[in-house]
Amino acid sequence: MGKGEVAVGQESRANENFDGASRIEARIGALLGDCIQVFRAFSELAELAENLRILSLNAELAAGRAGDKGRAVRALTQYTRELVNRLAQVQTETAGLMSHTYGLTAAILREHHQHALIERAVGAITAGSGTMADSASRRLEEASVAMTGTLARSVERMVEYIERMSARTRAVAEVVSASDSIATNIAIEAVGAGLHEAEFRTVADTMRRYVEELRTIMEQAGAAVRSAVDKGVALQRINRSGRMPAARQGVLEA
Amino acid sequence: MKCVTMFRQGSHRWLAVTGDPGSGGKAVDTNQFVVAAGNSGMLLDPGGIEVFPAALSALTQEIDIDDIHYILLSHQDPDVGSALPLWRRVCRPDVTLLVSSLWTGFYAHVDAAAEITPIPDEGTRVKLGEDVTLQLVPAHYLHSAGNFHVYDPEARILFSGDVGAALLPKQALDTFYVTDFAHHIPYMEGFHRRWMGSPAARDAWVSLVSRLDVKVMAPQHGLAMRGDDVKRFLDWFAKLELGSGVAAMRAER
Repeated sequence: MGKGEVAVGQESRANENFDGASRIEARIGALLGDCIQVFRAFSELAELAENLRILSLNAELAAGRAGDKGRAVRALTQYTRELVNRLAQVQTETAGLMSHTYGLTAAILREHHQHALIERAVGAITAGSGTMADSASRRLEEASVAMTGTLARSVERMVEYIERMSARTRAVAEVVSASDSIATNIAIEAVGAGLHEAEFRTVADTMRRYVEELRTIMEQAGAAVRSAVDKGVALQRINRSGRMPAARQGVLEA
Repeated sequence: MKCVTMFRQGSHRWLAVTGDPGSGGKAVDTNQFVVAAGNSGMLLDPGGIEVFPAALSALTQEIDIDDIHYILLSHQDPDVGSALPLWRRVCRPDVTLLVSSLWTGFYAHVDAAAEITPIPDEGTRVKLGEDVTLQLVPAHYLHSAGNFHVYDPEARILFSGDVGAALLPKQALDTFYVTDFAHHIPYMEGFHRRWMGSPAARDAWVSLVSRLDVKVMAPQHGLAMRGDDVKRFLDWFAKLELGSGVAAMRAER
């Protein structure tokens, strides 16, 4: 095989790598799409937490009016406010996570695109007849190695962020479960509350409605997190196998 | 893309990287230039990020990338310098980046890690090798508010950025120099009327360049002009009505 034939093959492989790189960019884009779904779901938490807080305050007033018959309800509403605080904390943490995720995704896409262009330059130089290309080839090689390292670390961090999102989703799921139990217990207390039965029942029903809304949010967030985890793990696998973002070694083989 | 040697006298060379970079026709074609003398060179307007692979490949057919000691960004447009972060990765670590002081902070949006040397409004001189001194000539408002051209008095070549630029059909890019100035005017006219907005800046630039001994005028887009065509261009540009975009603001709403 003549030199020119090898060069053509190498350029073709570089172009294949560039196409492969575009597919990885698409995967990163899809991963960001999942993250956006999670953040969108979490963004509804604030309003729901506020509704739950107001409900607990009203329930506490009702419990006060009910005297002894409202003692258990009062304890339950205090616990509800703890849950509301937990939701607020999750919301704050998620806002920070959202900012980091957007920043990191932008950095990954930018670095990845630049790496793909570096790979394309390697292919173009290899295919060309340049006699002055040694320094450029060496620098491209160094750049490629450095960028691969940066990308690898960025993908690991992205997966870490997704794991944190998953943890937040679990925290909200616990709140949903606990709120559901509180609503049930308030409904039970309502049965023996005499004149205050209707008032407590309304509190329990309203709380159940909020719990259902929370559950829906969590189902949406949970599905998006699972999808993001799958994509993150797949990217991690590509990354660890050395194929991310393009098979540099493959370009040089021929 | 191909690398054309425009001038050679000993180690003193002007190289032009021109032609379709294979961007699928989406990106406007650009010319990248290198002036070299001894073991020192300046890359003029390295180009857009998508052009980088083809431009680097073409350039390394003629020059060692280690010889590039300076990168000049004539102004802030993406086709001028969005590939800066990639060029910095392949050029020597101590490469000096030159851009108008107006744009240093703006270029941080393209390459936050780049250490840029600002060019003062009045311009500056840069020595290449032992004998060649390039003049960075102000060309503000043509079209950018902070804009520089490069004049080489030895080679008598003026890199004129967007002044003299032409938007040509692909087949017209097979040649490097204008061969029929009158025929070339339609490719430049709309561009200059729209992109150049300041008659005062144009007049000052024409006066400045008329005092220089320019044999070749090499713009960032389209074909270079040489010999009498340089004078023809100056005469044509001096009389051209500029700022065609202003009409849109005067239109009834």
